Amino acid sequence: MRNLFLFLFRFRGALVFALLEIISLYLFVTNSSYQRPAFFNSANAYAGLVLARRAQVTDYFHLAEMNQRLAAENASLRQQLYLPDTVGREADSVALPPARTDSLKRIRYRRPAARPDTLLLGLKRLPARDPSYPLIPARVINNMLHNVDNYLTLNVGSADGVRPGLGVVAADGVVGRVKVVSEHFATVTSLLHSRTSIASKIKRDGTFGTIRWLGDDPTHALLDNVLRETRLVKGDTVVTSGYNAVFPEGIFIGTIDSFVKESDKNFWTVRVRLSVNFTNLTHVYVVTSRFKAERDTVEARTGLKPEGGGPAR
Amino acid sequence: MSSLRSILVQVLRYVIYVGVYVLLVHRLVLFDLGWCFLYLGFLLFLPINTPIVMQLLLSFAMGLTIDIFYDTGGLHAAAAVGLGFVRPWVLRLLTPRDGYDSVDTVNVHQMGWQWFSVYLTLLVLLHHATFFLLELGSFRHLGLTGAKMLVSALFTSLTLLIVQLLFSPVRRGRQ
Repeated sequence: MRNLFLFLFRFRGALVFALLEIISLYLFVTNSSYQRPAFFNSANAYAGLVLARRAQVTDYFHLAEMNQRLAAENASLRQQLYLPDTVGREADSVALPPARTDSLKRIRYRRPAARPDTLLLGLKRLPARDPSYPLIPARVINNMLHNVDNYLTLNVGSADGVRPGLGVVAADGVVGRVKVVSEHFATVTSLLHSRTSIASKIKRDGTFGTIRWLGDDPTHALLDNVLRETRLVKGDTVVTSGYNAVFPEGIFIGTIDSFVKESDKNFWTVRVRLSVNFTNLTHVYVVTSRFKAERDTVEARTGLKPEGGGPAR
Repeated sequence: MSSLRSILVQVLRYVIYVGVYVLLVHRLVLFDLGWCFLYLGFLLFLPINTPIVMQLLLSFAMGLTIDIFYDTGGLHAAAAVGLGFVRPWVLRLLTPRDGYDSVDTVNVHQMGWQWFSVYLTLLVLLHHATFFLLELGSFRHLGLTGAKMLVSALFTSLTLLIVQLLFSPVRRGRQ
């Protein structure tokens, strides 16, 4: 017995080292899996508070630039609202048939909401005030670019209706999806993550593919699984396909930058220039795809994916 | 009394290193290649006679704190624990001819330029190699990772050297 204690004491350094190393590697590995929430992360109340304070201070230094960007976004929204021709305009009141009890048969008018009830996000009009499919505006308080797996932290949490698995979209296009939620903060797996895989399609002809990120360049991603028979055009728009029920269909991801045929593969290697500029991301929206819960249940029941969602395709 | 005082000093150092790193230094990226792991200063400049178990626990705590802020799971912790384990070996390797004095600390002015630069370069390089290879999880993009390691090691070492020159006591025996 004494020898055992002596042995343990003599090698205490190596033993403690091995123990701590195993714990940290376990935490690291479970964290980098795409879906499983990790316990230690920046949605944690204390870390979130510090990061929010830091964002408050650093915001001050970007005010001019941020104002400019918001003004540009406003301008494009306004352009969208007041279309040059009358085609896409919405009436400011809608005529309803007379009520059955009304003996005078008066036509009633109902005013649609005074505020616009759609928001243009990534080339797609999304309902802004639909209570069952909320569009939650959020502020990015922490952002990474240069790691192999990048995450964002947002200043909204479960109190605002954010749930893990929802999509995150900026005005320019797809940003990522929510990973962990605390009461007032949420961490988001950025599109710049080695396990990213977003079901997408080329808008021109509807060819399906998968967006991946290779881990080197925050302005480009790879469009995978496009068959070699497909004809591609430089500058084509790539949008979400709506297959994975995280993002609504048709949200802008980027444009095709270049494509090569590699001899040992059945697929094109397509480089996509991402529409979102991740270096100065500040305001984003958390979105839901319609009928996600119902669709997940029926797909799980068929055995297409394990309960709680598999890989993001 | 003096042990209580030294514990307080270490706690204060911990808070300062984490604070400065999270609020300020983490933003600094050189050419998309170089990061400054300033918080390593806390581990590297611990007293030379720190017990190994204490040292490992401190490394783990420091790494995990940084991990919590940047959602890296246990990446910083793993690399920092590795550093904490290797540090006594490097210290033993670099022992002066007549051994360490009881008042010796890791300090440029006391231990000399040569000793200090070898100590810093060796440990920082080892840490960065573990860190970036773990982060990648494989040996792809070896060139890019190698460049990251070298530039970051240079950046970190220079910053820690400046920290030493600014804040470490020149006279012996004060702590």
